Amino acid sequence: MPPLLQINDLKTWFPIKRGVFSHTIGHIHAVDGVSLTIESGETVGLVGESGCGKTTLGRTVMGLEPKKSGTIHLAGTPLWPARHKDSMPLRRRIQMVFQDPYSSLNPRMTILEIVTEGLIQQKLIRARDRAEAAKRLLHEVGMEPSGLHRYPHEFSGGQRQRISIARAIAVRPELVICDEAVSALDVSVRAQVLNLLKDLRASHNLAYLFISHDLGVIRHIADRVVVMYLGVVVETGPASDVLDHPAHPYSRALIAAVPVPLGEKRKQNILRGDIPSSASPPCGCRFHTRCPYAIEACKAAPPPLKPLTPTSARLVACIRKNEI
Amino acid sequence: MNTLLDIQNLSVAFDTDDGPLHAAEDVSFSIGHGEVVGLVGESGCGKSVTALSLLRLIPIPPGRILSGKVLFEGRDLLHLPTPELQTIRGRRISVIFQEPQAALSPLHTVGAQLIETLQLHLVLDHQAAKNIALDWLKKTGIPDPEERMRAYPYQLSGGMLQRVMIAMALMLEPSLIIADEPTTALDVTIQAQILDLLLEMKSRDTSLLIITHDLGVVWEMCDRILVMYAAKIVEEGPRDKIFTTPAHPYTQALLESAISLTSRSERLSSIEGQVPSPLSYPAGCRFADRCKFIFPRCRQELPPLYDVAPDHHSACFLCDPQRGRN
Repeated sequence: MPPLLQINDLKTWFPIKRGVFSHTIGHIHAVDGVSLTIESGETVGLVGESGCGKTTLGRTVMGLEPKKSGTIHLAGTPLWPARHKDSMPLRRRIQMVFQDPYSSLNPRMTILEIVTEGLIQQKLIRARDRAEAAKRLLHEVGMEPSGLHRYPHEFSGGQRQRISIARAIAVRPELVICDEAVSALDVSVRAQVLNLLKDLRASHNLAYLFISHDLGVIRHIADRVVVMYLGVVVETGPASDVLDHPAHPYSRALIAAVPVPLGEKRKQNILRGDIPSSASPPCGCRFHTRCPYAIEACKAAPPPLKPLTPTSARLVACIRKNEI
Repeated sequence: MNTLLDIQNLSVAFDTDDGPLHAAEDVSFSIGHGEVVGLVGESGCGKSVTALSLLRLIPIPPGRILSGKVLFEGRDLLHLPTPELQTIRGRRISVIFQEPQAALSPLHTVGAQLIETLQLHLVLDHQAAKNIALDWLKKTGIPDPEERMRAYPYQLSGGMLQRVMIAMALMLEPSLIIADEPTTALDVTIQAQILDLLLEMKSRDTSLLIITHDLGVVWEMCDRILVMYAAKIVEEGPRDKIFTTPAHPYTQALLESAISLTSRSERLSSIEGQVPSPLSYPAGCRFADRCKFIFPRCRQELPPLYDVAPDHHSACFLCDPQRGRN
């Protein structure tokens, strides 16, 4: 049986246009050759700094950005078919929760309309059963049915994110892409929403592609972690292994930079400078410009993603992974 | 440690169509020379309003400072004539605002704004001011600072603008820096650089008031912590005591719900229920509805700050030394 989601050598580039005739003078290599699989019911955490391409990857899988090359398969079916009619049954199986609970809900629609729109579009329920379905969905995400006829602005950030989640799970998807779904929430509310996402994962057998820059959140929810840097995957493996013993110098620097309550003092001089421009990524290993372990050979060719040890589930794209 | 800033019984309200909204009530605390104080709490608890009121930076009206004193070197900032206050704003006490996009002028280059700030407070020619500005931009880790000086705010990313704001706040080397969520919009790697820069300022005897909800940042930076809930300070104490032996049930719940890289628990504990509306606070303790230790007195009276230790205070009847005696 094919995996739920299989991404092969995916590239998403954005043209850079200049001048009166909008000539394309180059491309932003937002996602530049990513391969990734997600099994049914599995949660994959996607981490990296802003600008590393993690959001673009999520949006490309969703069909919100056109891909340049590569393939995406959902349980063996290629995404996304050109014709709207063909894509509808696939859209039911893959849904998304966005970062900003304020701009991702239509302010002119009531909660009832928001959470059942997908069900009506997919012809899963009849219009007269709308209220019943909406009540059930709100109950599932821990909200009172009294809110059905109210508008998004009447709810707090945490509640709006619950509404977004209700909308996503309404059509019984198999995969939900969560793009920084809890980043805008307060600490105590974030804990509530994360617990909700875990409960739903168990009751609906959901798989998540969980995009976040917050490594604490990822450690809590993800089974497997994928670390991205400048459009490519630098390390992947089981969440606890990668977060406790990162192997790639970039993963190490990223994890060392997180301040932890009651923890040790951060190490000084961890990582200097900014992520280079993705319009002209560095040659060879893309991290060599900031890497403390870089040698001449790192500039020569992009390092392949190889197992850390012959039997390991950890893949690391670093030629010096076993010596540092 | 002698006191740099002393805030006494500060109360701030905003007039709304539904009546006055009490954003900060009876807030008292002090900041010593070279001390780093963290103000933590959830959105809407009044932490930003408290900090901005110190320099009268809230819009008046609809805002009103109802009562209180903010003593800075013996002078009450709340009643200082505006021209005199202007010599303190930016020069002696500076603010790193939360939203750099809103705080910087969209019509002027970043360089022009940095140079203007310097020339407003110091006697400097253009070139000297430019050199200082460049120097500070470099310290914040902005790549290619000469180029960035000529850029307009819309041409820079949020993280870069935040670093411009930080350079602007630090370059006059003020005695106190108020940082309102200084690193919330930044990646952890950039955050680490900024925190190091702020700690370097601290070692030069600069005081810091850091407003944040990131407990990791608080742990790493602060000497003392203030916890705010529903417009009131509910707990105050040294960092180690707040993290290891928190006295107020809200602080305890907040620490338990924090997600950290090292936590192993399957299920996160969260605080059930919601913050009461600031338009109609209950008569008793404002945390009562969400508190697991609630008893009848909590509904009747508002708990004052009790001493848990000489340097540790908590606004909870559980900490009342008279409790159980009468």
